[in-house]
Amino acid sequence: MNSAEHIFSTEEKDILQEVMNIAFGQATAELAEVIDIFVILSVPNIKVVKGRDLPNYFINEMDGSNVVNLIEQNFLGKFSGQALLIFPSGAEKELIKLFNQENAEQSYNVDMDTLEQETLVEVGNILIGACIGKITELLSDFVTYDPPRLMIQDLSQSTPAQFPVDEDSFAISIRTVFRFEQQNVEGYLFLITKQRSIQWLKKALQTFLESFM
Amino acid sequence: MIFAQIFDTINNGLLVIDRDMKVNYWNRWMAMHSGIAADEIVGSSLFSHFPELDQPHFRRNCKSVLQFGNFCYFSQRLHKYLFPMPAPGSLADSFSHMQQSCSMGPLRNANNEVEMLYISVQDVTEVVSYQKKLVAMSNTDQLTGAYNRNYMESHLIREIERSRRYNHGLSLLMIDVDLFKVINDSYGHPCGDYALKTICQRITATIRKSDSLIRYGGDEFCIIMPETTKKDAYKVAHTIRKSICDHPFTFADMTFNTTISIGVANLDQDTDDVESMLKKADEALYTAKQSGRNTVT
Repeated sequence: MNSAEHIFSTEEKDILQEVMNIAFGQATAELAEVIDIFVILSVPNIKVVKGRDLPNYFINEMDGSNVVNLIEQNFLGKFSGQALLIFPSGAEKELIKLFNQENAEQSYNVDMDTLEQETLVEVGNILIGACIGKITELLSDFVTYDPPRLMIQDLSQSTPAQFPVDEDSFAISIRTVFRFEQQNVEGYLFLITKQRSIQWLKKALQTFLESFM
Repeated sequence: MIFAQIFDTINNGLLVIDRDMKVNYWNRWMAMHSGIAADEIVGSSLFSHFPELDQPHFRRNCKSVLQFGNFCYFSQRLHKYLFPMPAPGSLADSFSHMQQSCSMGPLRNANNEVEMLYISVQDVTEVVSYQKKLVAMSNTDQLTGAYNRNYMESHLIREIERSRRYNHGLSLLMIDVDLFKVINDSYGHPCGDYALKTICQRITATIRKSDSLIRYGGDEFCIIMPETTKKDAYKVAHTIRKSICDHPFTFADMTFNTTISIGVANLDQDTDDVESMLKKADEALYTAKQSGRNTVT
């Protein structure tokens, strides 16, 4: 973990933190407009973690809820990586009330499992897109996405090999807790960037800083 | 120029709409399957031709594409289809609409700003039809057309849960053909098969649509009867028993009679899961056999 911590200088970490703060602030405002729901995003916490340490790291960060819905989505651009959105299990029922009211009423022929899964994927898609879209916009990049995938995982049972993140990769974990104002649902967003994005990111952070000088 | 050729020749629906939901491009596939020509729809609002799309869910996804540059996916599993179009070819008999898997993404201008969005429409009717057939096959007994044991387990669990939640009755009948071996031995196996099929037909004609007939083993059947009290279950069981013993069976030139025995179980405080219900029905069936067959216990 020590060597991982030194990938970014203190100054770079500060700029990254600042970029995240601005990006998530904008994402909050625009999410309210897009989905008519006020989402509260906490100030992001940035850490560099080794891929193989991630499952344990998640358990610690998530206050002990082991069984989770994990939505994974790859993003591709100069800034590339994986976004992992984690909801404690049970959150899907609350999310349907927020997001899929009209589908829940109409599609009596769709079973509940399908509706819950599709709702998680849709919510994940929008939240991930909003956060990453804003970060990359600030850093003058834009990204495309793979379709999101939903996994239901027991974090305490996952061995690093089963975990959808490469063991040897360094992960810049950007953790934010978000809460929907109208419903008491909390989720965690982790962005895991690929190592090859790190050089680009360092440069982009520098450019970002210079633009204010 | 080269990419533009793909737009009209690809075997997928493609359309481009702008921020005001006006259609800018409409490919030949969309024209062919929707019956709406490009010059009819280009320039007008998508919602004026497809008012059913004007839903919060669809608008939300469009906004997230235009605002964040998101990609959105409309799965067949949840939505069945986005654009109501007839199902292609021979599949029109089994589907009222073409089943679609759709996705939506941003189109950026030279300044990298999202200016429009595209929607791609994939026809997955054939795949869904195969899925349906596979599910049906994995749940059905080939010979009799009744459900098979694979189906029974999951169905009975669901019905038990439902009946408990709403505090409604649930009955299970266990049926065994009396001396079935004799039919096979005296008239041959084709005749035995015929007897099983006919028994199933007669039972199906007696029970309700909401009841499920299952071939449990060689000559053993179960019927799961939701919303059915003990008293009603016995009544139905007697009707079924009579429908078998009152009418002779004719196969080729042979005419013979057969009978069935039935054990009845109900969901109650002691019998409240799959195992205990099956056990109780099985015990009742054994008693019916012991008391001289062609009976209900």
